[in-house]
Amino acid sequence: MEQRPVLELQGITKRFPGVVANDQVDFDLRRREVHALLGENGAGKSTLMNVLYGLYSPDEGEIRVRGEPVRMRSPKDAIDHGIGMVHQHFMLIPVMTVAENIVLATEPTRGGVVLDYGAARKRVGELARTFGFRIDPDARVEELTVGQQQRVEILKALHRGAEILILDEPTAVLTPQEASELFEILRTLVREGMSIIFISHKLGEVLEIADRITVLRRGKAVETVPREGATEEGLARMMVGREVLLRVDKTPAQPKEPALRVEALHVLDDRRLEAVRGVSFEVLRGEIVGIAGVDGNGQTELIDALSGLRHPSAGRILLGDRDVTGSSAGRILDLGLGHIPEDRQRRGLVLDFTLAENVGLHDFDKRPNSRLGWLFPRRMVRRAEELLRQFDVRGGSAQTRASALSGGNQQKVVLAREMSRDPKLLLAAQPTRGLDVGAIEFVHRRLVEARDRGEAVLLVSLELDEVLSLSDRILVLYEGRIVAEHGPGATEEELGIEMTGGRRSGAAA
Amino acid sequence: MSERPVPEPSEPDKAAVPSPAARLAFYQHAGGLVTPLVTMVLAFFIGGLVVLVVTGKNPLSTYKAIFNGSGLNWFFPWISHADRATAAFSLQATLLTTTTLILTGLAVAFAFRCGLFNIGGQGQWAVGSIVGVWVASSFTGMPAVPHILLAVVLAALAGATLASVAGILKATVGAHEVITTIMLNWIVFWSAGYLFGETGPLHSATQAFVPVSSDIASNTHLPVFWGSKVLQGLDVGFFVALAMLLVFWLLLNRTTLGYEVRAVGFNSSAAEYAGISVRRSIFLAMAISGLFAGLAGAVDVLGWEFRIGVDDIQGSTIGFIGIAVALLGRNRAPGIFFAALLFGALINGTSTRNLDPNVFKPELASNLTLMIQGLVLLFVGADVLVIYLWRARSMLKVGRGKREKSR
Amino acid sequence: MARAERRRFPARRLGEPRFIAAVGIGLGLLAVWLALPPIAARAVFWPIFVGVLAVAAGIWSASRSAGRVGWGAVASGLLGVGFGIFAMRASTTNLEGVFVWSTIFASTLRYATPLTFAAIGGMFSERSGVVNIGLEGMMLMGAFFGVWGADKTDSWLLGILIAMLAGIALALVHAIFTISFRAEQIVTGTAVNFLALGITGYVFVSTYGAQGAPTNIPEIPDVSIGFLKNVYFLGPVFGTLNLMIWLSFALLIVSYFVMFKTTVGLRIRSVGEHPRAADTVGISVYRTRYAAVATSGALAALGGAYLSLGFVHTFDQNITGGRGFIALAALIFGKWRPFGAFSAALLFGFSSALGDHLPDFFKQGSALPQLFNALPYVLTIVAVAGVIGRSIPPAAIGRPYTKQ
Repeated sequence: MEQRPVLELQGITKRFPGVVANDQVDFDLRRREVHALLGENGAGKSTLMNVLYGLYSPDEGEIRVRGEPVRMRSPKDAIDHGIGMVHQHFMLIPVMTVAENIVLATEPTRGGVVLDYGAARKRVGELARTFGFRIDPDARVEELTVGQQQRVEILKALHRGAEILILDEPTAVLTPQEASELFEILRTLVREGMSIIFISHKLGEVLEIADRITVLRRGKAVETVPREGATEEGLARMMVGREVLLRVDKTPAQPKEPALRVEALHVLDDRRLEAVRGVSFEVLRGEIVGIAGVDGNGQTELIDALSGLRHPSAGRILLGDRDVTGSSAGRILDLGLGHIPEDRQRRGLVLDFTLAENVGLHDFDKRPNSRLGWLFPRRMVRRAEELLRQFDVRGGSAQTRASALSGGNQQKVVLAREMSRDPKLLLAAQPTRGLDVGAIEFVHRRLVEARDRGEAVLLVSLELDEVLSLSDRILVLYEGRIVAEHGPGATEEELGIEMTGGRRSGAAA
Repeated sequence: MSERPVPEPSEPDKAAVPSPAARLAFYQHAGGLVTPLVTMVLAFFIGGLVVLVVTGKNPLSTYKAIFNGSGLNWFFPWISHADRATAAFSLQATLLTTTTLILTGLAVAFAFRCGLFNIGGQGQWAVGSIVGVWVASSFTGMPAVPHILLAVVLAALAGATLASVAGILKATVGAHEVITTIMLNWIVFWSAGYLFGETGPLHSATQAFVPVSSDIASNTHLPVFWGSKVLQGLDVGFFVALAMLLVFWLLLNRTTLGYEVRAVGFNSSAAEYAGISVRRSIFLAMAISGLFAGLAGAVDVLGWEFRIGVDDIQGSTIGFIGIAVALLGRNRAPGIFFAALLFGALINGTSTRNLDPNVFKPELASNLTLMIQGLVLLFVGADVLVIYLWRARSMLKVGRGKREKSR
Repeated sequence: MARAERRRFPARRLGEPRFIAAVGIGLGLLAVWLALPPIAARAVFWPIFVGVLAVAAGIWSASRSAGRVGWGAVASGLLGVGFGIFAMRASTTNLEGVFVWSTIFASTLRYATPLTFAAIGGMFSERSGVVNIGLEGMMLMGAFFGVWGADKTDSWLLGILIAMLAGIALALVHAIFTISFRAEQIVTGTAVNFLALGITGYVFVSTYGAQGAPTNIPEIPDVSIGFLKNVYFLGPVFGTLNLMIWLSFALLIVSYFVMFKTTVGLRIRSVGEHPRAADTVGISVYRTRYAAVATSGALAALGGAYLSLGFVHTFDQNITGGRGFIALAALIFGKWRPFGAFSAALLFGFSSALGDHLPDFFKQGSALPQLFNALPYVLTIVAVAGVIGRSIPPAAIGRPYTKQ
C-alpha cells in the first residue's frame, strides 16, 4: 500500500483580493484510492482543485505528478498529465451527441479532418464497456438525465487518458439513486487503476466512498484521516471547527399567532426536478425560525416560492391568513413580505441606482414617493436619508450609487428597505454572506430587534453558526425535505450530521 | 423539436458578461465627457487619414469646408455678410437634420435604458412618415391645428405600434428584438415601395408615373420660424425635438414608468425581486421608443418634405444614424443633442448643396461621412470594453467579500 | 438572457413541424383553388401569394424534421403558384408577357445565389458564436472590389480573389472588435456596414467619378452544359448558368460537409454552443472564432462579387440594397443550417423573381409585386417568434468569451 503518491500538492497558497482561499495546503493522492476533500462552502475546495486543473495559478506551492514537479498553465496541461475533471456544471454541449462530446478535440479522423464518427462511436462504446457504463453514444446530451450526463463527463476524462479524476461535488445534482450508481462506477474505476479526488461536504457519502479524507476549513487543510475510525461526529467537528461563535444577546422568544404557514409545499427547480418535496412549517410572529442546510438542498426554490418568483407545483402558502400561493412577487411584497435576497448585488440592489432609488425599489409607485405615475425624487431622497441614518449606512449619501458602497453597507441598505416596511414576515436569505464581523453583528442585532417588535423572521442560511445563534427554532432542510426540528439548544454536531444526510433525529416533516 | 435544455451557465461566464445596460451604465459613469470626445477625435483622425492617403488633399481644409458647409460658421461673428447669408441657409438645413436625429436617437436611447437594442428606428421613422403623409394629405377639409395634431399623433402611434411588435415578441416569446426590428425595417422599406408606387394606395393623385405620395394639405405645413418657407427653412419641429429631449429626461427620471424601465435595464433580476413587471417594462420601453421615431417621421413630412417618395424611404439611413447618435450621446438627453448636431452638421456639410466642390467633391465627402459614422460606432463599442476592463480590475481591488470563491 | 426565457417556454405543442407542413399543403391547395374558374382570382397576386406561403411553410417544416410532409407542402405550394400563373396566362391575351416556368426558375437561381453565399458565410460566423449583422457590408465590399479588381487586373478571377480579400479585411475588423475587444456585436456589425458603404462609395467615386463603373469589365462566364441545352424545361433552367451559381451549389455541399462531417465543423459548433467546454478540452475559442468570421467575410464577398460581376455586370453605390439582411433572414429561417439556408434563399429568390416577372400580369406598372420583397422578412419574424418550430440560435451567440 505504501508507495509514492501519484499526485502531491505541497504548500499551495492562493490569494484573491481580500481573502486567502488556500493557505499552505498539503494534499496527496495515492494510486487506486478515493481521497475525499471535505469542507464547508467557501472552505477552499474548489479553488484548490482549480489550481490543480490549471484554471488558477497558485501564488505559492508545488504540484508533483508521479514525483515530477509540474506547472499547470491551462486545463490542457492538466489533461496532458493525465488529470481529468468532472466539473460541477458540466462542460457538455447539449445539442451534440455523447460520442461527439467525448471525442471533441481528440477526434478520430479520416485523412486528418474528416470526422470518423463510426470510429468515435466504437471507441466510446468500448470505453463504456470497459468501465461498465451503459450509455448510448448516439444520444444527444440534452436528452440524458443528469446522472447520465455525469457519466459522459467521466468518459470524456477517461477518453483523454485521465488516470487521476477530480469530481467536484458530484452528488450535488444527483438523486440518491443516481448517487449510489455513481459510487458503483467510482469503485469500478478504482479497480481499473484510477485514482480519484472526491470533493464533497456531505459526511455520509464521504464515509461511504472515500479511503482517506482531508478536511479543509477556511482555506487550511485541517487533517487527513483514513476512513477506518473516522466518525460523522469527528468529521463534523473538524469541518466546523471551534471558532468563536458570534453569540447574539437575546431574550427568549415570545411567539404569537402564525405569520406564515406553509402546507405540503412542492417546488420544481429549473430542470423541472422536484427540489422542495412536501415541506410544511409555520413561522410565528415574534420568533426567528432558522432553516439550516447545505447549499442546493432546496433552499433557493423554497425562497423563490415564498416570495412569488416561482410557482409551487403543489401545496399552499399562507401569509397571515391570506392564501398567496401563486401570487406575483409584487403582490406578495404588498401583502407584507420583507425579503432580503440571498445575493444582494444581483437580486437585492440595482447597483447603478442611487441609494434613494434603491430604498424605494418596492414603494416607488406608492405615496408619498409618487402620485399618478409622477415620481417625487426629493421625497424619496428625504425618506432614504432618514433610513440611512437609522440603519447607520456609511460611505455615501442618498444620492450615491449603490455600487460605491462596501458590501456591509450595501446590505444595510437592503435591510433598511425591507425592515422599514414593517413586514408581517421577514425572509432573510443568507443575510450576512460575505460581510465582515462588524456588519454581521449589525445584521444579527437588527433581525433580533425585528423579532422583538413582534415580526416573524424566517432565516435561511448556509452558515451553521448563524442559524444556531439567531434562531428560536431550527428546521433542517435536506434534499428538499425538513428532516429535523430543534429548539435553540441544538448542537453543531447534531445539525451537521442531519444537514449532510447522516443519522436522523427529531421529527421528520 | 427545437427546444432544448440549456447548458448550465458557469459562474464566471455570467460575471464576465454584464448586460448591455449594465455596461452602458458603467460607460456613463466613467470617463465623463472624455470618452466620447476621444472617440470622435479618433474617428475624425482616421477619416482625415483616408482623405490624405486616398486623395492627397489636406484633411484640415477638407474638414473646414465641411464645417462651413454645415453652416456652423454662422456663429462666428467675423464672417462677411454674404457668407452669413449662405451660412444661415446651410445651418437651417443642418438643424432640420439635427431635429430628426435627435428623435431617432431618442428612439434608440430609450429602449437602451431598458436594456433593449432598438435597431428598428429606421422602420419606425418610416411608418411615422407614411402615416403622417397619409393623414396630412387626406381629410383636407380639417382646420389646420387639429389636422396637424392628428397627423403627428397618429404618426407617433404608428411608430409605437411597429416597435411594439418587437416589444411584445420579446416580452412574450423572447424573440430577440434586434432580429425582429431589423426585419420590421425591411418590411416597411418594401411596403413603402408598394404604397407609394404606381397604382399603390397612397400614390400621388397627380403624378401618375412618379413613385411618390400626394402633397400634404398646405395648411398642415409646420410653421417656419427661420428662413424661407419654400426652401426648407427651419420649422417648429426643431422645438418639438428639443421638447422631446426634455420629455425623455422627465419620463426616465420623474415618472414611475421611467424608474421601472431603468431598474429593468440596469438589473432585471433585482427589478423582478422587487416586484416590478419586467415584461411590461420591455413592452412599454419599446413602444415609447417607437413613439419618438414615429414623431421624427411626422416632423420631417410636415416640416419640410411635404410629400414622400419611395426613394425618400428607401434611400434613407436616418434611423441607423440614430444608433450612432444615441451611443455617442451616451443615451442621455444633452449628449444626444450634441451628437445629433454633430451628425446633422456632418451630413449637411458634405451634401452636394453645401460643400464647396472646389475643396472636396461632395460625392466623396458624403462617403467620408459614412466612414466616420462607422468609425464612431466601432470605437464607441470598443470604449465600452476598455472601461469595462478597467472596472473589472478595480472591482477585484475592492475585493468585496469572498463570495463564491470555493463552491 | 435568452436562456431564462427559453426555459420559461418549454416545448409544446399544437403542432410540431408536421402540423405546419399540413397547413402548407392546405395553403397550396387553396392557392390552386383560388386560381381556378369558380373564383378565378382576378388578381394573380393572391393565388401566387398564398402559394408562396405554402412553399415557405413546407421549407420551414422540412428543415425542422417534418421531412416528407414538408416537401409535400412545397410541392403543393408550387402547384398553386403554377396554376395561378397559368390561369392568368389562359385569361390574358397579352402574349408579350408570356413567360414560362423555366424563366422564373432561372431567375430564382440568379437571385438566390448571392443570398446563398452570404447566408452560408453567416452560418460560419454565427455557428461560432459571433453575430454577423455586417454581412451586408461584407457583400458590398465583395461587389465593389470584385469590379474594381477585375477592372484593374483585367481578369474576373483576380477580381473575385480581390473581392474575397476585401471581404476578409472587413470581417477582420468585425472580428477584432467583437472577439478581442469584446465589443457589442450588433453595434460593431452596424458599424461595419457603415464602413463598407463609406469605403466602397469613396473608392468608387474617387476611381470612376461621375461616369460610373466601366462597362467593359471582364465578367464571370456562364457555363453551358451541352447535352442539357435542348432538354425540355431543364435546358432553359440549368443549361446555361453562371459559373458562380454552380459554385454556390458546390459550396452548399462542401459547407454542409465541413460543418457537420469534419472536426473543423465540430469545433466551430462547440465554440458557438459552449465556449468554456471547448476551451477546457483545449480548443482555442479565439482562433476558431477569428477563422469563422473571416470565412464569413470571404463567402459574403463572393456573393457580392457574383452580384456585380456575374449578375448585374456593373457596380453602383449600395448595390446590395439589403441583400445581406435577406441572407441573414435566410440563415435564421433556415435554422443556421446550409440546406435550410439554401432553401430559404431559393424561396426568397423565388419571391424576388416573381416580383420581377409578375408586373407583366398586373395593370401597367402596378406596385403590388413589391410586397413580394417583404415576404422574407415577414417569414423570418414568424420563424423567430415561432409559436411552432422556433428558430433557436447557437447557445453562446452574441456573447463575448473571456478566458479564465
